[in-house]
Amino acid sequence: MSEWVVDGVETDLDAFHLGPVDLSLRPGQAVAVLGSSGAGKTTLLRTLAGFLPCREGRVLRDGVDISDWMPEERSLGYVPQGLGLFPQRTVFGNVRYPMELRGRPDANERTEELLARFRLTSLKRRYPARLSSGEQQRVALARALAAEPKLIVWDEPWQALDVEARHELGTVLTDLRATEGVPVIVVTHDPDLAFSLADSFIVLDHGRVRLAGDARALLDRPSDPFVARFAGYENVFDRATLEAGRERPFTAWLLASAGPDGVAFGTPEAVPTIGVPSTWEGLVRSARPNPEGVRVELTVDDLMVVLRLPRPWPAKLPMAGDRLRFNVDERTVHRLGSAAGGAR
Amino acid sequence: MSDWGGPPPRRRWRTGPYWLALQIVLSASLLLLLLLPIVALFTYAPFSRIVAAAENVYVREAIGVTLYASGIAVLATALLAIPLGYLLARRRFFGRSVVESVVALPVAVPHLMVGLGLFLLVLPGSPLYRFTNAIGFPVNDTVWGVVLVMAVVSAPYTVLASQLSFEAVDARVLETARSLGAGPATVFITVTLPVALRGIVAGLLLTWARAVSEVGGILILAYTIYPGGPYNGPVTNTVSVYIYDLFQAGDLADAAAVSSLFLLIAFVLFLAVRIGERSGWLPWRRGDLTP
Repeated sequence: MSEWVVDGVETDLDAFHLGPVDLSLRPGQAVAVLGSSGAGKTTLLRTLAGFLPCREGRVLRDGVDISDWMPEERSLGYVPQGLGLFPQRTVFGNVRYPMELRGRPDANERTEELLARFRLTSLKRRYPARLSSGEQQRVALARALAAEPKLIVWDEPWQALDVEARHELGTVLTDLRATEGVPVIVVTHDPDLAFSLADSFIVLDHGRVRLAGDARALLDRPSDPFVARFAGYENVFDRATLEAGRERPFTAWLLASAGPDGVAFGTPEAVPTIGVPSTWEGLVRSARPNPEGVRVELTVDDLMVVLRLPRPWPAKLPMAGDRLRFNVDERTVHRLGSAAGGAR
Repeated sequence: MSDWGGPPPRRRWRTGPYWLALQIVLSASLLLLLLLPIVALFTYAPFSRIVAAAENVYVREAIGVTLYASGIAVLATALLAIPLGYLLARRRFFGRSVVESVVALPVAVPHLMVGLGLFLLVLPGSPLYRFTNAIGFPVNDTVWGVVLVMAVVSAPYTVLASQLSFEAVDARVLETARSLGAGPATVFITVTLPVALRGIVAGLLLTWARAVSEVGGILILAYTIYPGGPYNGPVTNTVSVYIYDLFQAGDLADAAAVSSLFLLIAFVLFLAVRIGERSGWLPWRRGDLTP
């Protein structure tokens, strides 16, 4: 049970500047760090883990400033991208490693316990190169826990996992937070994971915090194209595209609501041909069923708009070249890149 | 890949037959080139001659002193070259390219030149001559001279191999080890070195091979090996010089016999290491994807 506070942390890596970042984690809480490539997510994790110095600000663990501590003193379960398994050690040897360092007399028994808990017992003599990615993830997590971390910091845990393995790892992480109260910070590109796991989010963009808050903040006020797409907005248009088609009616209408980085709006439903008034019309490019209904790609002006036909399935799927009509709920239209959505 | 389903692939060759044929022809040509001189040695020297060589006390002494000196040279190289390789792999410093080039030099020049350079350095009366004698490591015509030449001409292989191996160790693996509670020195001992060990050992094997095959430098610095320092054996030569002498004296049959004998020893040593690696008895290839 530990409480972590990241207080105005800034760091420099060559020409890249990160921060200031503020975060606080209560026991068992999970934070998802989002952002496109090069936004500074890994830099933030490596700073917390002690591999990059804090230029400004402090990292507090249970009220103690650990900003100057060595990585090995921070009691932090850092799982990098690629997992960092030791290739020359077996599964058993990997999980035992942190306990060897601490000279625990019960290292073997503890290792067996952890292996059993992560269903790795039958694989314990294997080397990491011979494991599937799901198995490797479990080894990485078991090894991190063997060090009895006070915070788990995980870079892209879901990478290269199939649906089953994702689900399983999600369950393990949730258990872990509930039973041991270990807070978790994950960097992820996966909305499913983020929304199922995280209590709060921070969004990084070019080293700055664009948004911090819980899922509602992210969903209601997407701050930039990346966040909008992450939050499930399928209709995201950048400003340059809109400017180019400004004399067309739909484009012009969108442009009026656009911020510096463009505009996003929630997926509208197609309007039936008769009976309901509609504002816009487009040409169907494709229509494919998915778990939420039928996803329709529509050309409106020169823009590609995504619509949905809700389930139950319509008697006949729209065909390419059909015309469909729709309305855009103005409450779902968000200007992107404006100060409104950002934390600063 | 049993869950791929469907009938087994109909194509017999996973690579095209021409491509495979090309690989086989080229590889076989090189193997032939490597093997033929050896075959020549063994056919020239009748088996009885090889046995006689193995029983000859002078030959035994020459082989003994060669293995002894090369062993020390490899140990000394391991001690000095691995840290240099690590330094070159992990640190960026001014003059790094110069250092790398200096390291490669002894390999790139005729070894007579290296021997000559060393010889000039320890010319009787020179400061280094007095120093090495004072500390009990005289090098002129002693086993230490042999060790010195061997180490100088063969250490670059270990420097280069360990540099490449250390560079190939994933920095994230090392960071993870730190985070799990290991200090920098512990990470080096428990992770960096074991992961890099395979490449380093390959370098040390090359170093050893190069050391035992050295002639040029030894001819100049320690043609004849007299007892001195901690070496109290008889007056002898390294096996390479011994064979060179036999050849110079026109004794082709004996030269071939001693060569064959030494070839057998070297082959058995290399084979033992390879088998040890494959079987997992030697630790440094454990965890490789290809067994």
